[in-house]
Amino acid sequence: MKIPTPVITLIVGLALAVSLLVSSMSAVSGKKAALAAASASAAAAGTAGAAQPAASGSSAAATAAASATQSATATPSASGGFVIPPHANYVGKVQGNRGSVAIVVHDTFAVAYFCNGSTQEAWLNGTPHNGKLSMTGKGNARLTADYALGHARGTVVVNGISYVFSIIAVHKPSGLFQSIAVVRGATVKAGWIVLADGTQVGSLNPNVNAASDASQAAPKLNLSTLTADDGGVTIVAKPIDGETGSGF
Amino acid sequence: MAAQYGEPAPTRQDPIQPDRSARLLVVPALAGCLVALTLGLYGRLHAPTGVAVDVIGFSSPATVKAWLATAATLFAVVQVVSSLVMYGKVPRVSAPSWIGGLHRWSGRIAFILTVPVVVHCLYALGFQTFTARVLVHSVAGCLFFGVFTVKMLALTKRGLPGWVLPVFGGLAFALLVLIWFTSAFWFFSFFGFRR
Repeated sequence: MKIPTPVITLIVGLALAVSLLVSSMSAVSGKKAALAAASASAAAAGTAGAAQPAASGSSAAATAAASATQSATATPSASGGFVIPPHANYVGKVQGNRGSVAIVVHDTFAVAYFCNGSTQEAWLNGTPHNGKLSMTGKGNARLTADYALGHARGTVVVNGISYVFSIIAVHKPSGLFQSIAVVRGATVKAGWIVLADGTQVGSLNPNVNAASDASQAAPKLNLSTLTADDGGVTIVAKPIDGETGSGF
Repeated sequence: MAAQYGEPAPTRQDPIQPDRSARLLVVPALAGCLVALTLGLYGRLHAPTGVAVDVIGFSSPATVKAWLATAATLFAVVQVVSSLVMYGKVPRVSAPSWIGGLHRWSGRIAFILTVPVVVHCLYALGFQTFTARVLVHSVAGCLFFGVFTVKMLALTKRGLPGWVLPVFGGLAFALLVLIWFTSAFWFFSFFGFRR
């Protein structure tokens, strides 16, 4: 029986989709295998990799980033079938759309930031351990999360309010950005989270040394120049990127 | 009662039985619904990974998809124009002999170009609803492949009403443009026209 050509078109498309899906799944599990294979040698090599993030110069950072994907220097682990990446950026909205959270993991350091684009924000840090994060920040901010290749989920508590989140790993140009600058005599600290769809949310603390927190909405961050205008003063943001180690 | 006398002899004015034509669409429509539902459910239930297989030569998976989607939409425009010529709707232009081939091949190329995009989209990002844009994109994306399936399967049936191909073809085109507008167009406006 001769198959009609439109059906052939559909079959070809379906076959292509299936093969791409399979190669995507194996690409993700290939990363898992590479990480798992590297963990054995990395455990023997010890903390040689801990010095890598301190390297300065763009070429050194580039090779550090390149070797990081082979994870020869980091100590990845696998728990419960999930692969725990040593370097990752996660961003996303918290449940109920009451704000956004970003978590950046880079070897033995993790930084997190929560903000709702106005008065609620918190910076947190902690040490990642076996795919689990327990982070703290000023004002009793707390974050606990489980993270693995591709996603992270957990809870963050800021100013006594608890937010649940389930977020995905992202790459440039999405991610976390921070600016610390002295503006009009006060130290201003701002954070921006650029979500996977490109929208951004940011909060700004106009005086980090003040007794009480008076956070407000951050000015819009220009993603191509990484600058923002704070009342006429240009502030420069830098990315906090787990993959390159920037900001750590 | 009419069965005793058998079928009336066909005359030159005997039209195609209308309910026979409509019923021919049922199987393609069901197939299309199945495709659309499968994509939507998969996108919703599968935990998006944030990553999928990468295509070299582009700065990121997002740019790959934006360019492929734009190329697919351009081929879809060729689809619409060639179908207008085929149906004699363009004044002073008569359909050349190769117009059918152009229509079929531009359609095949457009469809194949969308496949890596939808695989990446569903696998890495999933069916999302956090903004109106992604909701429209997710719904239109699922619907497009369902409508495309119906249109393809309808081509294999004889005796369909004349409105079927133009309606489903036009619907596929409209959905693809909506998909492109809520993704590639948005991406290029936001992040710049880049490779």
